[in-house]
Amino acid sequence: MSTKEQRERIELLQGTLDLLILRTLRLGPTHGHAIAKAIEFRSEDVLQVEQGSLYPALHRLIKRGWISVQDGTSENNRRAKFYRLTARGRRQLEVETGKWDKLAGAIARILRPAESESES
Amino acid sequence: MSRRKRMMENLDQDIRDFIERETQDNIERGMPPDEARYAALRKFGNATRVKEETWELWSFLWLEQLCHDVRCGLRQLRRSPGFTMVATLTLALGIGANTAIFSAVYAVLLKPLPFAHPGQLVRVFEANDRAGIGGEGCSYPEFQEWRRQNHVFSGMAAVQGHELNLTGGGEPMVVKVGDVTADFFPVLGVPPMMGRAFLPADDDQGAAPAVVLSEGLWRSRYGADPDLVGKAIDLDKRSFTVVGVMPATFRFSLDGRGGQLWIPIVQDPTFGPVAKRPNLGSFTAIARLKPGVSMAQGRAEMEALSNRLTQQYHPGDEGRTVLIATLREAMTGDAPAPLLVLLAAVGLVLLIACANLANLFLARATSRAKEFAVRAALGAGRSRILRQLLTESAVLGLLGAAVGIALAFGGVQGLSGLLPPSFPRAESIRVDGPVLAFALLLSLWASLLFGLAPALFAADPRLHTTLQESAGRPGEGKGRRRARNLLVTAEVALAMVLLVGAGLLIRSFAALLSVDPGFETRTILKAEVSLPRFQYSTPQQWVTFSNEALARIQAEPDLQDTAVALPLPLADQSCSLSFSIVNGPPQPPGANNTADYVAVSPNYFHVIAIPLLRGRTFTQQDVMSTPRVAIISEALARTYFPHRDPIGQQLIFGFPPDTNVKREVVGVVGDVRDAALNKSPGPMMYVPFNQAPLWGVGLVIKTSSSTSAAANEIRAKVHEVDRDLPVTDVGWMFEAVDVSLGQAHLRTWLLGLFGAMALALAAAGVFGVISYSVSRRTREFGLRMALGASEQEVLRLVLKEALRLAITGVTAGLVLAVGLARLISSLLYGVRPADPATLIVSPLLLTGAALLAAYLPARRATRVDPMAALRHE
Repeated sequence: MSTKEQRERIELLQGTLDLLILRTLRLGPTHGHAIAKAIEFRSEDVLQVEQGSLYPALHRLIKRGWISVQDGTSENNRRAKFYRLTARGRRQLEVETGKWDKLAGAIARILRPAESESES
Repeated sequence: MSRRKRMMENLDQDIRDFIERETQDNIERGMPPDEARYAALRKFGNATRVKEETWELWSFLWLEQLCHDVRCGLRQLRRSPGFTMVATLTLALGIGANTAIFSAVYAVLLKPLPFAHPGQLVRVFEANDRAGIGGEGCSYPEFQEWRRQNHVFSGMAAVQGHELNLTGGGEPMVVKVGDVTADFFPVLGVPPMMGRAFLPADDDQGAAPAVVLSEGLWRSRYGADPDLVGKAIDLDKRSFTVVGVMPATFRFSLDGRGGQLWIPIVQDPTFGPVAKRPNLGSFTAIARLKPGVSMAQGRAEMEALSNRLTQQYHPGDEGRTVLIATLREAMTGDAPAPLLVLLAAVGLVLLIACANLANLFLARATSRAKEFAVRAALGAGRSRILRQLLTESAVLGLLGAAVGIALAFGGVQGLSGLLPPSFPRAESIRVDGPVLAFALLLSLWASLLFGLAPALFAADPRLHTTLQESAGRPGEGKGRRRARNLLVTAEVALAMVLLVGAGLLIRSFAALLSVDPGFETRTILKAEVSLPRFQYSTPQQWVTFSNEALARIQAEPDLQDTAVALPLPLADQSCSLSFSIVNGPPQPPGANNTADYVAVSPNYFHVIAIPLLRGRTFTQQDVMSTPRVAIISEALARTYFPHRDPIGQQLIFGFPPDTNVKREVVGVVGDVRDAALNKSPGPMMYVPFNQAPLWGVGLVIKTSSSTSAAANEIRAKVHEVDRDLPVTDVGWMFEAVDVSLGQAHLRTWLLGLFGAMALALAAAGVFGVISYSVSRRTREFGLRMALGASEQEVLRLVLKEALRLAITGVTAGLVLAVGLARLISSLLYGVRPADPATLIVSPLLLTGAALLAAYLPARRATRVDPMAALRHE
């Protein structure tokens, strides 16, 4: 059922899932299944969201007040739980994205010194 | 509905939704519906785990687990009442003793003094380093100079202790009086509870006599009369107006003397002559540092000031300096050192108790190994098991704390009764909030200490494999046995340290008890009479009173041997005066010739059995009109007249105002320990009471009658002379000796007690370990005996194991003890820290106790039935 081989998949770093959920929700409120699908689709199936971690992560974000949950009706007229980014979550997303860019840049500079310099 | 419940419903719905969508997707991809649903479920994974994880997120999980662990712990304790009782009692003794001693340490060293901003308060005093004199008081003129010239204190006050006779409104009584300057209360920053404190005008020579009472006296003597302020009371038969009452929380005591009431210094009957004497240092000066001024700045300023003043007041006495110390240091004196030693000792007792408990827990963890293996198999994480075990030990710790705190309440009460009256801040020793907090923290710390190692072993993930391997085998894990032996060895070592400490103190105390004070104490009764100085104002009156009272008392057949002396040896504070020798060799500058001064009646040396070594004693002919004479002690003769006959030499000394009187030495008597039993006899000089009278007498009576009979007779005789005179401090001389040994007695007793506790605990530890080892080795012993080993050999085998543990512990303990003994050398008397007797007897005692403790299980080992033991498997 997955389009990529198991070994090509990358396990998500601790905390990255939170960031990806926040980013996905920036496009608009949606339900859990759609969030997982969106992350898998947009990463071209490299990242696979473990359902075991998706729901605890969603609840963790609710608890922190970064997203909220409410009843809604989905495209095919089915009732579902919709997750929505809060104002605080939006700010947090900016902070986390900034951090991530820094981290990624730093790691890239270490792993490939020449390339990253030529790029910049 | 709780948020958590709502969230969990959300989650349920969400999970169903997710699976439906996934199923739908799969169907769209062409799977048959059943397979599609199955694949969706499989993709989702363990829904229960997701729910649990989310549940934890929304709950105070740790709290729930804690409650569960506490319930579990209590159940465990209930299940084995014997274990619980032994463990609780062991812990309670340790925690109780620690709490009781800590309450004293807290009161003496940590509790803020009952004054405003106590950190700013200091005592200002003179010391003469060169003459080896520290902590002298100051004279009134000096105090006035200090107060006028310094820039570091916001206020400065002087106080001295006195006793006056309070008459009217009940039996005449002697009250402890603080003579203070008017700024005494403002400097300490404590307002009166009623009326006012003294005003600057009260310090003027002609001011109306005013008195401030303590709440205690106000309640006990005046029934808490709300209208007492403004009324008059009689002190030494002089009328004083009560201007205020200080609350009971206000306690100012230095050198163990507190005040029951306070009067301005100028109102003291002796103030007139005293005030003009520049070198009679009877005042204690206290001061408050200005905000922001450090001790060092204060010290520097006073040093500079004292250099200027020494020129003026003590020319030629360059060793003299003015020092400041925090008021707390001044008030606690030398009490902290023994207290800290005791605290360290109880700390060791608790450590030993913890080692015992750790061993008990270790043994129990082994017997509960199956339980933990099952738990681990069911998915309990290592940290979860660890947490549960630690909670169990904390439950036991708190149980121990509860019993221990009850013990501490009793202990503190007992301790307060045993404290010598001079013990600083004794009144504030109690089990209060901070002490309770200490007890609780201590118990938690202790439960971590004794619970951690066993819990780590129990939560060891390799446990169940080890368990399977060793199932049915008699041994146990090597690491665990090593831990057990290490614990009991450490326990023995710590007990060794305590036993050596206790042994040294006991030896010191025995040395103190066998010290000869130089005079008779067993058959000598003492009593004191102090004369109201307003009524008895002239020396002639003092002489007349003492002679008349003495004659009347001596007329009683069983009180024939009565003499007068002031101050009395050991019972009173000694009085040190400086002297000079007429035509003596020039003394090096700064050498301050001082000797203890006593005024006595002629028969004093005979009554109290101080031997006359040369010359004569005083006679009834040594009176005011005859040449002044003196008798010196052997120590003075030896030190100052090494190559000369002191008889016929002249000394210049005297109690003010007779400081410059020449006195001819007519005799030399034996040395006495007048200041304290543990202080070697110093030089002393005696004068005839009739030539140097004081406003009161100390009586010594050699008698065989009972205390109360003699006391009544003496009272009757004194009242024949003046019926308003109280006779106080009646008691046997040896009781005064006991009081002077009070602190040494108490700390020896306490450290002995702790040593005994340590010994018992260490023996219990050895017993536990050997018992356990014997029970594990039952099969081995059975085998040995089946192969022909005799009972003796098995017994020896077990005892050898115990002996090995004991000797390792004792050796380590001895090394530690010898190192630590130096720390208590200030508490020792007549014994070196490396006292051979102590260092031989205490190891033997401890080893003996360990062998005795091992004997019971060893006997059990010999009774093993070989057949039964072998069938056991």
